[in-house]
Amino acid sequence: MLRLQSIILAKAKHFTVPSPYSLRLVKKRTIAMDLMHHSSCFLLPTIPLQRRPSLITAQLHLCADGGANRLYDEMPLFFPQEDASDVRRRYKPDVIKGDMDSIRREVLEFYASLGTEIVDKSHDQDTTDLHKCVTYIRDSASGLDKSNLCILVVGALGGRFDHEMGNLNVICRFSYMRIVLLSNDSLIHLLPRTYCHEIHIQTSVEGPHCGLIPIGTPSKSSTTTGLQWDLNNTAMEFGGLVSTSNIVKEEKVTVQSDCDLLWTISIKKL
Amino acid sequence: GTKIIDKSHDQDTTDLHKCITYIWDFAPDANKSTLCILVAGALGGRYDHEMGNLNVLYCFSSLRIVLLSDDSLIYLLPRTHHHEIHIQTCVEGPHCGLIPIGAPSGSSTTTGLRWNLNNTEMRFGGLISSSNIVVGEKVTVQSDTDLLWTISIKKL
Repeated sequence: MLRLQSIILAKAKHFTVPSPYSLRLVKKRTIAMDLMHHSSCFLLPTIPLQRRPSLITAQLHLCADGGANRLYDEMPLFFPQEDASDVRRRYKPDVIKGDMDSIRREVLEFYASLGTEIVDKSHDQDTTDLHKCVTYIRDSASGLDKSNLCILVVGALGGRFDHEMGNLNVICRFSYMRIVLLSNDSLIHLLPRTYCHEIHIQTSVEGPHCGLIPIGTPSKSSTTTGLQWDLNNTAMEFGGLVSTSNIVKEEKVTVQSDCDLLWTISIKKL
Repeated sequence: GTKIIDKSHDQDTTDLHKCITYIWDFAPDANKSTLCILVAGALGGRYDHEMGNLNVLYCFSSLRIVLLSDDSLIYLLPRTHHHEIHIQTCVEGPHCGLIPIGAPSGSSTTTGLRWNLNNTEMRFGGLISSSNIVVGEKVTVQSDTDLLWTISIKKL
């Protein structure tokens, strides 16, 4: 999979994201909690024999600053028989946003000449480039259908650890938005504590290794179904139990917790 | 002649955790206070593995354990101590971060960074110190919670 520090917005065109607002009584509890569904349909190949995120079906493509360098350098590698410039033109981002301290000048000029919108936020040193891009999608992207929004972030993991943590923090800050971080090996998204979660496992492309991580605060009580080592009102915290190296056993995993958890699942190699 | 220790019956701890336990049990008491464990290949790959490795730092907070990748170095700064970090500028930096994984910090204070903290709160979902820059050769850190210190490793 291409390692890009870019953001891809996928509209619910080739997959359906069910409404999160299905009320259902939770077993063993008398409080009704909204249900949120999750499904990694975007990992399914839309073109036979190809395997990459739904680049073609995304409504909007953004690069977070230096992510544009990766797009420029590496996209032609997927099409070695073609002229590199032709490939770059075909896969140009709609927007490049960030503080512009990483993007190379020739890359910036190339995409600018093709009409890519350049949003220079170099004056803002309080937020990461990814944060700036998510804010752009939320606030500025006009003409975008924002119902059923799902933001895929490719190249979010690996590299500098502080960058990786900054990216995790973005999904915690925008906990009301569906943001999925992707790497070659794993997928991560947040399970906000305000919902019961049903995660529909696409077994052809993901699993079986998974984990639930209380990234920001300890959890006094988390409960799951569908895992090899389910939690049952179990406490989790760093320094104690954290659910890692778990295994998905069924096609549906449910999670309920008193704190925001990170869900992570392995992505299968082709 | 490599010693093989099969702990397949123990599914409650990660392989790294088992190795740290072995080292702790193996090291003579006299050496334990100066022990430093370097873990190469600790980051990247499956994300749940990476989180499990970070958790090992918290589980053994009294030990010096350093996680290494191609790009970064990470270790725990326990809340029970004030910390002085001496920067080896020929091989590390300048990018760094202080990460309150697992619990928020009500108050953290630093010196030696471009964006120092001054009794600053940090938490996931709010402010965390990432994309910071080391200025000079010494950084000090003091916090009410365990923090992860991370610094970039220079390419040769």
